[in-house]
Amino acid sequence: MHIADGILSNEVCLGAGLLAAGAVGLSLRKLNDTVSLRTVPLTGMMAALIFAAQMVKFPLLVVPAYGHLLGGVLAAIVVGPWAGCVAMALVLFLQMALFADGGWMAYGANVLNMGVVGSLGGHAVYSLIRRHWSGPRGVIAGAAIASWLSVVAGSALFCLEFALSHRHAEFNISSLCAVMTTFHSLVGVGEALITGSLISYLLTMRPDLVDLPGRSAGVVAGISRLLWTGTIAALVIAAFLAPFAADGADALEATAEKFEFASLEKERPAPLPDYEVPLPGVSYETGVWHKVSVSLAGILGTSAVLGITLLMRRFTRSKLDSREFEATHGG
Amino acid sequence: MAVEFLERYSQGQSLCHRWPARAKIVLTLLVIATGTLLPLEYWPASGCLAGLALVGLSVADIPLGYIGRRLALFLPLVLMTALAAPLSRGFMGAWDTAAVIVLRSTVAFLAALWLVSTTPLETLLAGLCRLGMPRVFVSLLIFTLRYLYVLFDELARMKTAQRARTFQRQSTWRSWLGTTQLVGMLLIRALNRAERIHAAMMSRGWRGRMELLDD
Amino acid sequence: MPHSAAPILKVEHLSYRYPTGQLALRGVSLTVGLNEIVGLVGPNGAGKTTLLLHLNGLLTGTREPAHAPGLPANPAATGRQTTVGGHNVPIEVLGMPVTPANFPEIRRNVGVMFQDPDDQLFCPTVRDDVAFGPLNLEFPRNEVRRRVAEALTAVGLADYEERRPHELSFGEKRRVCLAGVLACEPSLLALDEPSSNLDPRSRRGLIEILKSCRAAQIIASHDLEMIVELCQRVIVLDHGQIQADGPTRDILGNASLMARHGLEVPLSIQYGLPLPPTASSPPSAT
Repeated sequence: MHIADGILSNEVCLGAGLLAAGAVGLSLRKLNDTVSLRTVPLTGMMAALIFAAQMVKFPLLVVPAYGHLLGGVLAAIVVGPWAGCVAMALVLFLQMALFADGGWMAYGANVLNMGVVGSLGGHAVYSLIRRHWSGPRGVIAGAAIASWLSVVAGSALFCLEFALSHRHAEFNISSLCAVMTTFHSLVGVGEALITGSLISYLLTMRPDLVDLPGRSAGVVAGISRLLWTGTIAALVIAAFLAPFAADGADALEATAEKFEFASLEKERPAPLPDYEVPLPGVSYETGVWHKVSVSLAGILGTSAVLGITLLMRRFTRSKLDSREFEATHGG
Repeated sequence: MAVEFLERYSQGQSLCHRWPARAKIVLTLLVIATGTLLPLEYWPASGCLAGLALVGLSVADIPLGYIGRRLALFLPLVLMTALAAPLSRGFMGAWDTAAVIVLRSTVAFLAALWLVSTTPLETLLAGLCRLGMPRVFVSLLIFTLRYLYVLFDELARMKTAQRARTFQRQSTWRSWLGTTQLVGMLLIRALNRAERIHAAMMSRGWRGRMELLDD
Repeated sequence: MPHSAAPILKVEHLSYRYPTGQLALRGVSLTVGLNEIVGLVGPNGAGKTTLLLHLNGLLTGTREPAHAPGLPANPAATGRQTTVGGHNVPIEVLGMPVTPANFPEIRRNVGVMFQDPDDQLFCPTVRDDVAFGPLNLEFPRNEVRRRVAEALTAVGLADYEERRPHELSFGEKRRVCLAGVLACEPSLLALDEPSSNLDPRSRRGLIEILKSCRAAQIIASHDLEMIVELCQRVIVLDHGQIQADGPTRDILGNASLMARHGLEVPLSIQYGLPLPPTASSPPSAT
């Protein structure tokens, strides 16, 4: 998941760095406004925890392989979006400065794709779901859906950065996005499973640690509903519309044109008419592949979330009386 | 145990380890910037930069096996990203995009590896602080590093305890639950510890500013 | 500095309820005088740590006498039913009520040492950690350096300034914690299980350090032999109430009292072993 140096152009790295610096700076300021004296121990400890937890291999339930936590949504749910965003920036920095994981130039892009999208965007999705779905199931479903979306949105953002970095290259950006987001929709299922499990474990052991009313209320009240809706709309667009590029309604191109990156259109040769997906023995007509991948991603994600919710319901109900939960959380 | 893992080579005593951190940071960033700007036609220059980084690594007494292992973990990931470009054309073109990505990122990776394996994190942070990195962020990083050691040791102890109580091969579902419990318990302990640290800081007059006694 | 007549610490009818509603302390009253070393003993969950956390305002309890039915009357509270200077705060340190306005002054005068040294060593080097308190108290840098050097010498780790916390042994970590507390030059030390998990030599070293401290001390511990050696007076805390308060040998030698509160008569008292000679002599600085 870490972007190495040399994959994105330096201009894009700079732009992403500025955006990330803005977001992390804002988060630090928000933290100082709300929980000043707790900031350092809580944020630092969360960062250390995410770092350590990323080292733990989870056996993937469906395939005989291991996956690990990314943690942006988990951090945001436990310590709040602002502290979560800062914690992710800390984790990514330490991985870069201790192991050379992730490039120094690409640090901003990494923070943007994983930290900012994961914590701020993920928490936006989570709190929206929480508002319409109360009780422990809402918490778990919100966490799982937000995790899945944050991974897919992060990969879509990466595609956008990649496309802007190699504007003059002759590859097919829409196909690349389709491949990338499809792959990451699978990675996202793993992240959703892990985050959902951890949150449901926390709900059984220490429900007071998940979503303290004061914390999320402050954040939700502080920012207008409009902004949240906008963020979520952007996330959904990034996750779902980016692959919808096949029939000429290229979302990326549309975005690029809007921002007057007209050169993208001019320099890029038209997509091959008889495009074949390089899967052994399988070939598709133009455009079919994109629709397939998008619906595949959508179906996979939705069913995974549904499955997790049902599973966790059993897992949670056995140990936690839901009335007790309502009492501590006020619904 | 955590120390071995987190700072494998950065505590060495070679010539490179003794250079001032600021000079190393600036040099590395220059090499990375140059390496990532070079077009494909200038591949000999990229090769020279990669060679320079390798010479630096060997002067710093970093074993070749370690560099090889790190490259073996790094290259597949970069290759996957790089190959996405030709893949999008059904492997009918865009090969130079892939090549330039692999070339540039390898140079940058070797340079960064040299920097982080010759500089202990505290020194690196002190250097970055003098180069203008925000103080708040640096003090948060220092705090995080301190508790990374504590959490790693705690995680190791919990893993041992878990292994001691696991007698036979487990089903995937069981071991999934076990892993969830492990990380969840670590999370709860970490948050409890954060509360206790907060109390300890308050007892000693904490006012929200992480000050260090610099000499 | 306090005038000698006032006690260093005065707690009256302190009660505290956990956020969960469980009563942790019920009408606790005690005083600690100048140079006094008081032991605080009792079974797990008796409220010892909770009481210590009140002494510098980390927790804030209320002032209400215990009258829970079915529980024995608080022997320490009887006959001391005066109000503290007309206000309603249950704790006074050096004559100052423990209120948020006084926190900076209180926290400089009450040094609390926690049980797990890793909770207290949050700085990158030993020097930074010991300097943390004095720096936050806004002493000039030269004064901070003097205090750091003095505190580290007092715990016998003078050349450890550059060391990093994760490189230290458990005993060394605990001594650095103590140095961090001593660097604030407190009038009262509140120590939570100072000898737990220490090997015999580290424990012996710690006891000698505590003997040489000038500050008054309140030591919560299960290490009754250490209490016998260090303290002139012992308080037994159980179910959040003070069950006994008196001279160490009388209290710890009372077998039925000890058994009632999950404790044991220490072997040194049971077999009448002689105490180390310095135990009851007034502490002096080294």
